[in-house]
Amino acid sequence: MKIKIAWLYPDLMSTYGDRGSVIVLERRCLWRGIDAEIVPVTLETSAATLLSSDLIFMGGAQDRQQKLAGNDFLRHKGPVVQKMVEKGTPALFVCAAYQFVGKYYKPYQGEPIHGAGIFDLYTVHPGDQEKRLIGNVAAEIVHPKDLAGTIIVGFENHGGRTHLGPKMKPLAKVIKGYGNNGADGWEGAVYKNAIGSYFHGPLLPKNPKIADWLLSKVVGPLTPLDDSLEEKANQAVR
Amino acid sequence: MKGMGLIDRLVVIFTKLVSVVSTSLGLGAGETWPGEIALKLRPDIARELSKGLTDGTILVAGTNGKTTTSLMIKKILEGIGESVVHNATGANLLNGVVSSFIRHADWLGRVSADVGIFEIDENSLPVILRYITPKRVLLLNLFRDQLDRYGEVDVIVEKWERELSKLPKSTEVIVNSDDPGIANLGQSVKGKVTYFGVSDPSKYLKVKEHATDSTFCPRCGNRLTYEGVYYSHIGIWHCDKCKNARPTPSITSWPSSLPGVYNLYNTLAAVTVARSLDLPDGEIKQALHAFVPAFGRQEEIVASGKTIKLFLSKNPAGFNASLRTVLDMGAKDVLFVLNDRIPDGRDVSWIWDVDFETVPQKANVYVSGDRVYDLALRIKYAGVSKQKTEKRNEIVMIEPNVESAVKKAISRTPKENALYILATYSAMLDVRQILKGRKIL
Repeated sequence: MKIKIAWLYPDLMSTYGDRGSVIVLERRCLWRGIDAEIVPVTLETSAATLLSSDLIFMGGAQDRQQKLAGNDFLRHKGPVVQKMVEKGTPALFVCAAYQFVGKYYKPYQGEPIHGAGIFDLYTVHPGDQEKRLIGNVAAEIVHPKDLAGTIIVGFENHGGRTHLGPKMKPLAKVIKGYGNNGADGWEGAVYKNAIGSYFHGPLLPKNPKIADWLLSKVVGPLTPLDDSLEEKANQAVR
Repeated sequence: MKGMGLIDRLVVIFTKLVSVVSTSLGLGAGETWPGEIALKLRPDIARELSKGLTDGTILVAGTNGKTTTSLMIKKILEGIGESVVHNATGANLLNGVVSSFIRHADWLGRVSADVGIFEIDENSLPVILRYITPKRVLLLNLFRDQLDRYGEVDVIVEKWERELSKLPKSTEVIVNSDDPGIANLGQSVKGKVTYFGVSDPSKYLKVKEHATDSTFCPRCGNRLTYEGVYYSHIGIWHCDKCKNARPTPSITSWPSSLPGVYNLYNTLAAVTVARSLDLPDGEIKQALHAFVPAFGRQEEIVASGKTIKLFLSKNPAGFNASLRTVLDMGAKDVLFVLNDRIPDGRDVSWIWDVDFETVPQKANVYVSGDRVYDLALRIKYAGVSKQKTEKRNEIVMIEPNVESAVKKAISRTPKENALYILATYSAMLDVRQILKGRKIL
């Protein structure tokens, strides 16, 4: 079989080395002899292309690009992604994408901006005088259960504070840094086989267990790889 | 000398004195803090200091190429006998500019020079324009760089536009026509606008690099069409929807002795500024002929009988440009050094936007720096091709300690090869000190 990894808006939402997470997903398949293909899904791509993929990734964006992608996502790709996530398609949403799949984003001025409502969460920007949450981060996974106890690391850089609704489970407990909102100690969110996170760095290279968890939802149990270098890079951030 | 008041002169004398005493005590002269103190005492002092320049000020802003280009302009102007005030590399905020005036001033607190040439941090350009009304503003490019510190490229463009539109008619603005992100800025200024760009299809990239920022029309948001890309998002662009297009450059070629298309841009930028000051091409050619790059910018150092070539590589666009240049130069031994200190940017995720995939399998790759394992991981995942016989890239050496990494890389590099070192800002300073400090000999 061939795993098709849909990368949503690679030209618009790829701000903090997000490409790294996609490369990691692809390489970890190829190294195991599993065929994999990265499918770029952007403004002009059809919903059918997205629908035929096995795994979804969407990353961070700058404001202007986010607006372009946002209009398209809410109208065209979002409902498709929602259907897929509900059916159990593994997905990873990082930074802006994580906010995007929630119910709404409340900027410090003006009306709330609608999200795709795929995740039961909302994000509030507390005002331009409040500090952005920036820096190296580490957290211990609490969900999914089979990854509990794994230490994940990354870099966060966000103004918005995200709060989880009752349908969401937190991904991890913050050890160092701020996480979702800098207040409740949680980082990220899990819903079915979909994960959202503020950790970039990018997320998957230093946290290959999350990559393998997502891939295993497509192909089943995976043979282990030599992750000693990944482990060293992970340790260096703690 | 006109217009500078007694108090300002006393402040200059005082900070100069403090700086000299501190230097003689071995505490370091400081490229920024004499200016910082002066600004605390007299917030408007930059305006007063710049009035002492008989031929005005030239500001050079952009993400990449500031140091090299401002040094070229300095060289050209010194060639015709101008005396120049110039800020030190990296001291490119307002305090660095003021410090350079203080260093240049005499003991009566007077600045007597013809022209000021300052490289300006992209975030500081709007601030500096509030104090100094330049004769020329040179806008080189804008790339994604240290998002944790600088913020987003679009936000910087907006800030630039706001301040540039306030400049008087007498300020000429010189803009890179091939960077769609900033090319439109020319439309919002009152004064003359001159463009420089490259028109050479043989220099087009065959495959588009990943680290791109401005591939969407700044006017209407539509995806831009490129006839050709030179590097990152720099190229011959137009918008099919609103007909926005690359402005016509006044200059497109110049014999450049430095390798790399980005150095051609730096050269064209410097030449455009010089021509705008009515300098004859002959003088410009002569000055640039003997141009030696700034430290860490393609600097050549010989150590232990081997040639080492240093390339400062501080963001995805710059790193990709350096990488392409060294591979074109036939590099077989390459040391990458990645630090995550404040001047490098704390966030190292940008290395995943660098096309390490272009490094040939047979090259000897060495990695080092504060974030050596991030770099090693990036190169591991760069692999080779998408073929079934997928193989991991072998890294010859992973050495966290920069000093031993440099030593080992030099000793492993065959005599007939040069060792190419690509390093982030603080890493480059470390490497340079190790090489120049002769610690390795």
